[in-house]
Amino acid sequence: MGRSLLRILFRVGLLATFLLAGWVVYLDAQVTDRFEGRRFEVPSRVYARPLELYDGASVSAAGLTRELELAGYRRGSGNRPGYYQRNGQRFVIHTRGFLFPDGEEPARQLSLRVSGDQVSGFSVVSGPSSAIVRLEPARIGGIYPAHREDRVLVQLSDVPQPLIDGLLAVEDQNFHEHIGIAPLSIARAFVANIKAGRIVQGGSTLTQQLVKNFFLTRDQTLVRKANEALMSLLLEFHYSKDDILETYLNEVYLGQAGNRSINGFGLASQFYFGERLKNLDLHQMALLVGMVKGPSYYNPRRHPERAMARRNLVLKEMAEAGLLDARQADQAQNRALDISAQPSYNDNLYPAYIDLVRRHLARDYRDEDLRSEGLRIFTTLDPAIQQASETAVRDTLPKLVGSEHLEGALVVTGKDSGEVLALVGGRDPRFAGFNRALDARRPIGSLVKPFVYLTALKQPERYTLITPLQDKGFVLEFDDGRRWQPSNYDEEERGEVPLHRALSHSLNLPTVRVGLDVGIPAVQDTLRAFGAPTPIPDYPSVLLGSLSLTPVEVAQIYQGLATSGFNTPLRSIREVTDANNQPLSRYSLKVEQVADNGAVHLVQYAMQEAMREGTGRSAYNWLPEQLSLAGKTGTTDDGRDAWFAGFSGDLLAVAWVGRDDNRGTALTGASGALPVWSEMMARVPQYGFSPVVPDDVQYHWVNVGKQALTEEHCPDARFMPFIIGSEPEDIYDCGGAVGREIRSWFEGLFNE
Amino acid sequence: MNKHVIARLGALFIMLALAGCASRMGGESIYVPMGGETRTQDAPAPPQTSEPAPEEPQVWRKSEQPETTEPETRTPSYRESGDQLPEAALTLIRDADQYLQRGDTDGALSQLERAQRIAPRSPEVYLKLAQAYVQKGNLDSAEQFTLKGLSLAGSNARVQRAGWLLLADIRRARGNVAGAAQAEERAAAL
Repeated sequence: MGRSLLRILFRVGLLATFLLAGWVVYLDAQVTDRFEGRRFEVPSRVYARPLELYDGASVSAAGLTRELELAGYRRGSGNRPGYYQRNGQRFVIHTRGFLFPDGEEPARQLSLRVSGDQVSGFSVVSGPSSAIVRLEPARIGGIYPAHREDRVLVQLSDVPQPLIDGLLAVEDQNFHEHIGIAPLSIARAFVANIKAGRIVQGGSTLTQQLVKNFFLTRDQTLVRKANEALMSLLLEFHYSKDDILETYLNEVYLGQAGNRSINGFGLASQFYFGERLKNLDLHQMALLVGMVKGPSYYNPRRHPERAMARRNLVLKEMAEAGLLDARQADQAQNRALDISAQPSYNDNLYPAYIDLVRRHLARDYRDEDLRSEGLRIFTTLDPAIQQASETAVRDTLPKLVGSEHLEGALVVTGKDSGEVLALVGGRDPRFAGFNRALDARRPIGSLVKPFVYLTALKQPERYTLITPLQDKGFVLEFDDGRRWQPSNYDEEERGEVPLHRALSHSLNLPTVRVGLDVGIPAVQDTLRAFGAPTPIPDYPSVLLGSLSLTPVEVAQIYQGLATSGFNTPLRSIREVTDANNQPLSRYSLKVEQVADNGAVHLVQYAMQEAMREGTGRSAYNWLPEQLSLAGKTGTTDDGRDAWFAGFSGDLLAVAWVGRDDNRGTALTGASGALPVWSEMMARVPQYGFSPVVPDDVQYHWVNVGKQALTEEHCPDARFMPFIIGSEPEDIYDCGGAVGREIRSWFEGLFNE
Repeated sequence: MNKHVIARLGALFIMLALAGCASRMGGESIYVPMGGETRTQDAPAPPQTSEPAPEEPQVWRKSEQPETTEPETRTPSYRESGDQLPEAALTLIRDADQYLQRGDTDGALSQLERAQRIAPRSPEVYLKLAQAYVQKGNLDSAEQFTLKGLSLAGSNARVQRAGWLLLADIRRARGNVAGAAQAEERAAAL
């Protein structure tokens, strides 16, 4: 009898053990699967271009300060890595060092002056000496795993110590000792709860809370509790405390925005403060720690008093635990909540730019690799120019006629590098919506004219800058009987105008005549060579810009006009490395000559004239006369699109202003897009545009009306470039006589 | 011709071209935004914790280079030659040379592209890029960078000569005998 009972008990026990073991294996699979999925996906990090410091570098003192702060530098004595000191124009910067794809940039202490927006007196005070040093690049965003798009993932090393200390002090004092559950604290909580007659303490460890977060059911059954405890033990068995803590920091539930939950301290920091976690002050960290207990009950936007009380309690506990001294705690308790007015949902500072980067990367990388392999992506973004561009769009659009419906886009590239330095996709640059810089494909209007004239000027025996053109109306009849009757923007006709003036004043009638004369296919060839995406329309209205392009595409085709006829493919990425700095891709500078340098030089002359005397001259309402610029306005029917594309010695920029619904506006290229362009240019230190005279070009004083060479002191004399051999043969001296050329005194001045 | 020979010759030409250049600051005068210090303050992120700097004098620096025939303002601008190499760019070019000697052309290209960003209007940088591409075996890019360098050489006969001779060698190596002869003629005519 006794024996058989024992046998039954043994069998039941054996069965139970089997079942339990099976259950544990099942739970183990569940919890590790979930944990692995969270733990080992590392988002790609996206960096701005590093600031290069050397004697002669163009940077303003404010720009340098901002750059330092963007890269996480703090103002201080400048003798610890990550700190800088500023004394008027003098800076002492202690760099942290950074592992670039091309090698290590060691930590150094630098001393320099910034005056007149240029670096001088640059020297390395300590560390390996060099005439040029790169700062660490600012991190401008991340590309996150798809199912965790709603996270701003932080790594443990990036989390400020006071936040971790505070969290452990308040939520789990024995985190580093316990094995996943803490029976003692459960007992303590049990006693406290019975004493109080309600739940005042939770006995859960961070590990248990993490498990709870993985399997979001809120019921508090005993079975669930048991499962939770088992899973916690299993997690602790498999993973290190740091792994668990880091995952906890990225998973913990900290609020709700509509139907979207705010998980993780990184996102919570953005959501409540609009700041990166590492930039938070003590009182802000304490608030986040306090909110773990009840994110909606302590919601600082809804219940500021509760949140404040909770925060101060956290600070008090931190002080009691010896983490703060009384003064620190006191100061932090006296701070306001400092919640941001607008919730923000990601840490991508420049969503439109990151959008461009992702599209470039999509050509070479699989989406899931970008999101999970921890790639390091080094972009060409220049934070100072980006800021100038955002400010220009944001401040200028509201001042324009009909502003409430207007949208805008701005692209800035390095004139000779093709690097995309800044990109604005709409009037709210923080909003990751429709990216007009990449996706608004609109007719380019008169922006096409330089290509029409370039095609003509490639034939110096037929066209020069002073070739007289007919500014007179005409009608084109097509085979199918349709008629096309182009006209000038101002509906006027001027009779005869020289070519340079037709371009600088953007006259339609002479342009169409020249375009038809050289042939539409020749103009198409030019556009294609300069990088215009095909197909290009082949009807005559293409000569007035019926071709539709995006602002970035316009920047691409203008690259060849801005340089000496060299197409330079636009790039937003310099390099990509894997998480261990092994290079994966380099995107090199490329140049390709697509037009004769001489012909381009002539077009550049007329585009400079457009700024001085033609349709672009209002730019100098913003900019100093000394800064030479070249550019072209573009306006489409009914002011649907206002364009401006132009360049200085350093920068090429394209601005577009119009309406998303494609309705008309009261704007032109000059009154809509040029103000945005000029406002941006006015904020950036840079060199003026001054092209080198090509070998086959020579400047002459000419009298344009007389089609003759003349002398400087004569009336109406203009100093103009000609492809050698195409200059006029007649000579007009001020006496009024026109004769054959005699070798003028200035010949040979320029070609030795 | 063997590409190593071209590379060596290229290096020689370019060192000739580089000899005697290097100025502290490249180019002519730089535009300084009006009140740039205060205007940037109304911008949003990143937070600015520093106080505004004392107003800096609005100055126009002229380089140490001889003045080019600059037409008076308000008329289109041009000049007779590209920028001189600033010291910092020269440092990077020397670094690139060390990479090239070790046979690390990608390392050299990285440094040269940094130099290009600092001195985008200096012809020497492009000739040096051309040299690195010769060593890499990419003669197409080498030719294009040589042409780009030449387009900025202007009246600088030393750079012109180096560029045309380099171009002649590259073209010959690519089998373009006529183009090579043409380039040599240009060099000889200087």
